[in-house]
Amino acid sequence: MTAGPAKADPDFFRRLSILVVEDSAEMQRLLTALLESMGVGRIIVAHDGARGLTAFAAERPDIIITDGAMTPMDGLEMTRRIRASDAGDAANPEVPILMISGHAGRENVTHARDQGVTDYLLKPLSAEMLYEAIVNAVSRPIHFVETPSYRGPSPRRRLEARGTGE
Amino acid sequence: MSASVTHSRLAGRDVPMSETPPDVRFIRVPSIAERKLGTSHTAPMRLDPRVLDKMQTTIRKLETKYAEALSAQVSMLQLLVDPAAKGDGEARERLYSLTHDMRGLAGTFGFPVIGRFANSLCLYLEKAREEDWRDASVIRLHVDAIREAVDNPGTDPAITTETLAALERLVAADLAKRKIAG
Repeated sequence: MTAGPAKADPDFFRRLSILVVEDSAEMQRLLTALLESMGVGRIIVAHDGARGLTAFAAERPDIIITDGAMTPMDGLEMTRRIRASDAGDAANPEVPILMISGHAGRENVTHARDQGVTDYLLKPLSAEMLYEAIVNAVSRPIHFVETPSYRGPSPRRRLEARGTGE
Repeated sequence: MSASVTHSRLAGRDVPMSETPPDVRFIRVPSIAERKLGTSHTAPMRLDPRVLDKMQTTIRKLETKYAEALSAQVSMLQLLVDPAAKGDGEARERLYSLTHDMRGLAGTFGFPVIGRFANSLCLYLEKAREEDWRDASVIRLHVDAIREAVDNPGTDPAITTETLAALERLVAADLAKRKIAG
């Protein structure tokens, strides 16, 4: 990662709002506590993908962090709807969606990428992994593609999972 | 917000215009940091060790609570196996949910082996058929291994690793068999 211009804003994370979509109460606690430690100004929590969509449309957070496996709507379906061209208020091609998953298989990562996931974080989550993924999400210009049915990060880009899954 | 549209790049490589489908547009928007701060300031691009240290302290604080809760969760897993095998849907759901949480959290809180046992069990449960639930022997083996790892953290790591490898092989072979069976 390269250094930017000199005037770094130490309170930058205060300006961020992050939506956490997670059905496990313990994982919610962990993520919320870690984001608070980073100084993130606003943390919104939703318990599954359907509530995540509603919260996203209402709150317009800067970043979404979502679990993969949830019921009744999982994180992949929520992502697919956010990236669908006809999703109305919930549609958004550019919001970074960071998926936390226990599935390390190449096919899982590829499927997540194809739905529009921006970054894929393998469980177990570490502080460094989460911090790095957020810094990466906020620092880089956002590239996306628009097709008649999809608006989001290119499904043809290379996406590698972060972490070892062990 | 300013956005630029280009047809020149695809998946990080230069692509002749003729290869780009006519109904695909490539768009670039400024970073979140640039949108929030303008171009004269920048977000912290490098990881700040002080922030990372705060985050790691947060994890350490939660670790103690997690260790206390873990033992109770394993007891609950043991209690759930029998009703789950007898067809109790709620018990099956709870068993999976507890295992899923363990897979996600145990490694973060310093119990990587338990996280891997839970991962192996999760993979099995995600594809479990009715007869797998009713038989429950693979489930029991995993739950016993998790219990052993929680109660005796000082066990020879070679034994734990071998147990884990054996369970992972068992699940992989089982999943492969089902795939072949269609």
